[in-house]
Amino acid sequence: MAANVKLDKKDIQRSFWLWQFFSHANYNYERMQGGAFAMCMAPIIAKLYPNKEEKVAGLQRHLTFFNTNPNVGTVIHGAVLSMEEERANGADISDEAINAVKTGMMGPLAGIGDALDQGVIIPLLVALGISFGRTGNLFGPLLVLIGLPIILMAIAYSCWMKGYQLGSRAITDMLAGGRMKQIIGAAGILGCTVMGGLVATSVSFQTAIAFNIGEQEFNLQSQLFDAIMPGLLPLAVTLGVYALLRKEKFNATQILLGMVVIGFAGGMIGIF
Amino acid sequence: MNWLQAFIIGLLYYFSDAPWFFGEGYYVLQRPIVAGFLTGLVMGDPVTGTIIGATINLIYLGHLNVGGSMPSDMAVAGYIGTALALATNVSTEVALAIAVPLGLLGTIWWVGKMTIDSFFVHWADSYAAKGDEKGVMRMNWLPSAVMMLVFKVIVALVILMAGVPLMERFLNMIEGTNILHALGVVGGLLPALGIGLNLRAILKNETMPFLLVGFLLVAYFQISIVGVALFGVVFALIYMQMNKEGATYGG
Repeated sequence: MAANVKLDKKDIQRSFWLWQFFSHANYNYERMQGGAFAMCMAPIIAKLYPNKEEKVAGLQRHLTFFNTNPNVGTVIHGAVLSMEEERANGADISDEAINAVKTGMMGPLAGIGDALDQGVIIPLLVALGISFGRTGNLFGPLLVLIGLPIILMAIAYSCWMKGYQLGSRAITDMLAGGRMKQIIGAAGILGCTVMGGLVATSVSFQTAIAFNIGEQEFNLQSQLFDAIMPGLLPLAVTLGVYALLRKEKFNATQILLGMVVIGFAGGMIGIF
Repeated sequence: MNWLQAFIIGLLYYFSDAPWFFGEGYYVLQRPIVAGFLTGLVMGDPVTGTIIGATINLIYLGHLNVGGSMPSDMAVAGYIGTALALATNVSTEVALAIAVPLGLLGTIWWVGKMTIDSFFVHWADSYAAKGDEKGVMRMNWLPSAVMMLVFKVIVALVILMAGVPLMERFLNMIEGTNILHALGVVGGLLPALGIGLNLRAILKNETMPFLLVGFLLVAYFQISIVGVALFGVVFALIYMQMNKEGATYGG
């Protein structure tokens, strides 16, 4: 065996674009992104293993359960590409070794990736977009529509290529050292600052309760809450929701329904 | 709202999902701010569509799809919610109140799609056993794409064509009551959930002061969100410098 087949840059890029477009095209409970992993590997497998038996085994190897963050998790795909290439050229790399890289790393990279994109990058850009969009400025939606895909694809592409360059070492390199932790820490600070601003601009909640103290009318909102701090109630509500979610006593849907009931009832009887 | 508009909005709703638009549908096209803008274009008022979409997006700011569990379908809230709101001329707060139940409804077909797609991966298995890599690739997108195209266009047509007259009747019925005000209260509260969900992912005891600074900057000085983000960048840079190995301060 030990055929001399090399993957060229075009193969690697084609595989990347197949993943980029189709990672969630058949997302399902049984194997999650398994079919998509097989799809982006399929042309590679066909090129590396002309022998039918090996090709079948290769396709089946990648049709297994797989689920990770589609952007940062591409380090895995890159690493697997280089492992398959070495294996086809005679290196002693077992099925187990390839599976171990996939299953061992999809979890940690899902955690890191989701924290970075769904946790910070997307909310940040969307929050900026919303602040423009709410005033009717079309730059808001265009920022999200054009800016966000460019940022996310740049991350996915560079992680993919890094994975291919470093092979199975890629992931240990990425997780080792404090660099990833530092980036997530900095991103969290930026995200929290913007979310704080967003509480003040987007959540609106005030009470309409007023009563008389002797001759004097006392308005709870303007004479107490606003006097302490503008936006006190929106901040309290947001932190309250956060605390409920964090304790995991209620899920998001239950809190949603609670807000609808309380807000609606309070609005009807005139206390909000 | 005519049939052609409803049909195009249904198509947009479909195309906002994988595998179209560089696979960035969930991250980009499904965000209600984008959905509102595109729906507004179809209905001849992109500016109002953007305002409505941006407002709806507030609830979904913390939208997390982790491990395939979808808390709500923000795309149906964005596309169909904006279209209903534009067609009936309601306030943005009421638009929010319409969008929420739509988003929850969407989780029903999300579960259905995730289940049915599990069958298609078995079709891929049988192609793999034959060594047919093209078949494996095709099974990862074609069956699901066809199924969702038919389904989502029909959903949009039904909800939009039946929903507009229903909503108009409802809005006439409640005119002069407290109901619109109460829906507005709900609409003002709901963004707290969107922000709270995002905070669950990023807020820690150590980052709480930054949340408060961001809040105070706007509450007291009415700084724009862009300005707040710039402050945030500075804080992040300071953090990174202080965490650099061997950094010393003031000697």
